[in-house]
Amino acid sequence: MTTRRIRLHVLRNFLLYAGLSLGLNLSSCSQKSAPPAISDVQADASVAPGDSTSADAAAFQIPVEYYTLDNGLKVVLSPDETAPIVTVAVYYNIGFRNEPKDRTGFAHLFEHMMFQGSENLGKMEFIDLVQKNGGVLNGSTRFDFTIYFDIVPAHKLETMLWAEADRMKGLKITQDNLTNQQGVVKNEVKVNVLNQPYGGFPWLDMPQYANKNWYNAHNFYGDLEDLDAATLEDVQSFFHTFYSPNNAVLVVVGDFEPAQAKQWVQQYFAAIPSGTVPATPNLTEPVQEKEQRFTKDDKLANKPALAFAYHMPVRNSPEYYAMGLLDQILLQGNDSRLHQALVQERGYTGSVGGGINAELGNMYNYNGPMLWMGSLVHDKNVSADSIVAVLDQEIRKLQENGIDQELLDLALVKMRSSLYDQVSQMYGFGRADLLATFALFDDNPARINELEAEFRKVTPELMQKTISEYLRPTNRTVLIINPQAQS
Amino acid sequence: MKKIISISLSALLAFSASVATAQQQTPPEGGTPKDFTLPAKQEFTLPNGLEATLVPYGEVPKVTISVIVEAGNVHEGQDQNGLADIVGGLMEEGTTTRSATEIADAVARMGGSLSISVGPNQTYISGDALSEYGPELVALMADVLQNPAFPASELERIKNDFKRRMNLARAQPGTQANEKFRAALYPNHPYGRELPDDKQINAFTLEQVQDFYQKQFGAKRTNVYVAGKFDSGEMKEAITSSLSEFRAGPESSIPVAKPVTKGDMIVIDRPGAPQSTIVLGLPVVDPAHPDYVPLNVANSLLGGSFGSRITSNIREDKGYTYSPYSSISTRYKAGDWSESADVTTEHTGNSLREIVYEINRLSKEAPSEEELEGIQNYEAGLFVLRNSTPGGIIGQLNFLDLHDLPESFLTNQVQNIYAVTPEQVSETTAKYLNPKDMTLVVVGDKKQIDKQLRQFQQELKKQAPVTQ
Repeated sequence: MTTRRIRLHVLRNFLLYAGLSLGLNLSSCSQKSAPPAISDVQADASVAPGDSTSADAAAFQIPVEYYTLDNGLKVVLSPDETAPIVTVAVYYNIGFRNEPKDRTGFAHLFEHMMFQGSENLGKMEFIDLVQKNGGVLNGSTRFDFTIYFDIVPAHKLETMLWAEADRMKGLKITQDNLTNQQGVVKNEVKVNVLNQPYGGFPWLDMPQYANKNWYNAHNFYGDLEDLDAATLEDVQSFFHTFYSPNNAVLVVVGDFEPAQAKQWVQQYFAAIPSGTVPATPNLTEPVQEKEQRFTKDDKLANKPALAFAYHMPVRNSPEYYAMGLLDQILLQGNDSRLHQALVQERGYTGSVGGGINAELGNMYNYNGPMLWMGSLVHDKNVSADSIVAVLDQEIRKLQENGIDQELLDLALVKMRSSLYDQVSQMYGFGRADLLATFALFDDNPARINELEAEFRKVTPELMQKTISEYLRPTNRTVLIINPQAQS
Repeated sequence: MKKIISISLSALLAFSASVATAQQQTPPEGGTPKDFTLPAKQEFTLPNGLEATLVPYGEVPKVTISVIVEAGNVHEGQDQNGLADIVGGLMEEGTTTRSATEIADAVARMGGSLSISVGPNQTYISGDALSEYGPELVALMADVLQNPAFPASELERIKNDFKRRMNLARAQPGTQANEKFRAALYPNHPYGRELPDDKQINAFTLEQVQDFYQKQFGAKRTNVYVAGKFDSGEMKEAITSSLSEFRAGPESSIPVAKPVTKGDMIVIDRPGAPQSTIVLGLPVVDPAHPDYVPLNVANSLLGGSFGSRITSNIREDKGYTYSPYSSISTRYKAGDWSESADVTTEHTGNSLREIVYEINRLSKEAPSEEELEGIQNYEAGLFVLRNSTPGGIIGQLNFLDLHDLPESFLTNQVQNIYAVTPEQVSETTAKYLNPKDMTLVVVGDKKQIDKQLRQFQQELKKQAPVTQ
């Protein structure tokens, strides 16, 4: 059992998330063990001349206690006494890109099955248990993991640990339950994609066009026929293959006593047997050497739209952090280059959105090839070529004029603030999300406090190198929506 | 306590290594509830009538600031549908001393954001920043509020963006359904206006924009809310120094709507639609009414939560839909209840039948103590969640201010939720949610749903009146 406790700076990332439906996303967190104070981090502040906010920022630390049970379950505890609330999140290390090849959409369908009954909680009973204890819950399937989380009054922590352990032990699903959820999921696809203008654009569409490896490039929501073809045996097999404690992380954030929480975690999770988890398939994408352009007809859309996407540098590489800052400069906020060029100066659109892992997460919570993507809806009198020309022009400007320390500092301030938003998102959930994915993918949830230092290592030279290598047109996919409905 | 449900074991595919057919376990109850008190606030009023509320909250070094002005679509003239949106849009285009780009750059240096949105009753200037920039952000937002440049050069672009946004909204089945629903309930009030079309938007002039701002904006209609981590003394000073000179302007005034209750059905054809988008509902009480809390509890139990009866029925039992929900929409001194669902086309009639069945069942039979207690706990839990983020806190305070509600609306809310009895839930449902009085809007493939809808309507007419 390893326990790490780390201090350090916090950064911010992008407020881009789509899969969760709880609505409220402004939140606040704190911790009693590390109250913000000007302390031993003054030295770090001096690293960034012109950034007067570093001292406060550096002092804001998130407590992280990390250990692993004998059965392999990773556990992260992060107390926060701001409100009498506790968030319990279980992340399984299986996302939609790794689902079986003849069962598109299965990872997400399976997520629904986790609410359909376990050993001690029948159908609807998990949901009822959370609600009648004053809490909310949800699940979500992403590229590389599947989330289950409950936000409950603080004194109900034990209840939720018991319930999450219960469904980690095993499911009890009937054919009726499966048939029911096949209906629900097909309706989900209809309401979010098939009956909506711009349904699936660009979040579901772009990976299918930009990527070449099936794992990264298939329909993650699933073809309706594949959803229909799923059997109880598929459900059983998927659970056995991926839903073992050694393929998961449990995160607790909020107002609780860590010693007591550990005791409950031991009591309820320790006896769950580990499983044999298959090796991750090869997710590698070939290096793209030629620009790709695609057009998709949309019979419900009434205005054209355009999305662009560039393959990202490898996660956690120096260039990856540089791309995080380039995203801040080019795409985030009204001051960003693309907002200024496309919205403010030319009026091509009212807004341009996007980011890294846009609409399905953020730049931290994935584990494989990824895209930096942007998109906009525009009028018919603006051509796709003129939009792409602006994109190229803004990137070229950065390349030709160079990126000085002042611009880097601006990007760092924006980055830090957006990370605060991320860790504040939806009560304890935003914080739990980073802790969980850093535990799963990096075996180091304390990275949550180390991010700003990584971004600070980025130099103007590295920014230039990253622009040349990754923001080249030949690394780009452009997807155009051809609208077929009347305005 | 957990109820053991009866499932035929032979129908189960139990596939856990640790499955035992022994007696089921029940969840641990948990400990004793921790106290929750609403975060303390500091309020002050400037001589010009502007009210400010400061709520220090949390430890994340950010501050959220909302400047909310009672000037919205309700204040537009008869032929000015959407003018308030144009005013809000053009206010983002700079002040007499700063261009839009300069504002964007200044906000970015604070690690912040600043945006303006317009609702039916109010215009929201919303900002956030790293804590140390709070006072600077207040000054910037005060400038945006008091000194808009309304640059003529940007009017066409703002109008064009607004037209595009409205066109996109009109293409969505949910927006279409809601638009018709509001129009049916509020025919003689701005709440019932449909989304402005290109022609209406094209007609707006800069003079109209300036005139609307002059007539509708002022300190008496403005509330400033600050929540998050900040220095209260500095913040009060910043608000006082930057907003004391704002002209007092008009008194608060929102025309009270008189909603219409009419058992009508409106169908909008969406050929080939794989789903029907349903809105079914009617006018109810406003938040100040004593029945509001019981109705809210009834709504939560009936369709307003994941575990609610309607959702359990048409989603978790029948699989007709993904995200059905019922809710009470609060308007100024008015309100309406509705159930919304996107249901699979061939089950349009069945879905409506089940929704009405659940409403009638709750009208006729009081829920069990246990079911009610569960939903009371849920609502009490949501109350804590709603008051546990800077944005949520501001939302709650603005709700009180907009609807002229006393402080006790919040401080007694949990107590009031728990005071509701099972009989009250069914009586309130019977009193306010009579399906025969409901307006039904369906956006779907007429060819496939006409017959289903006719049959549903005939059945509804034949139903005996609900008696309490």
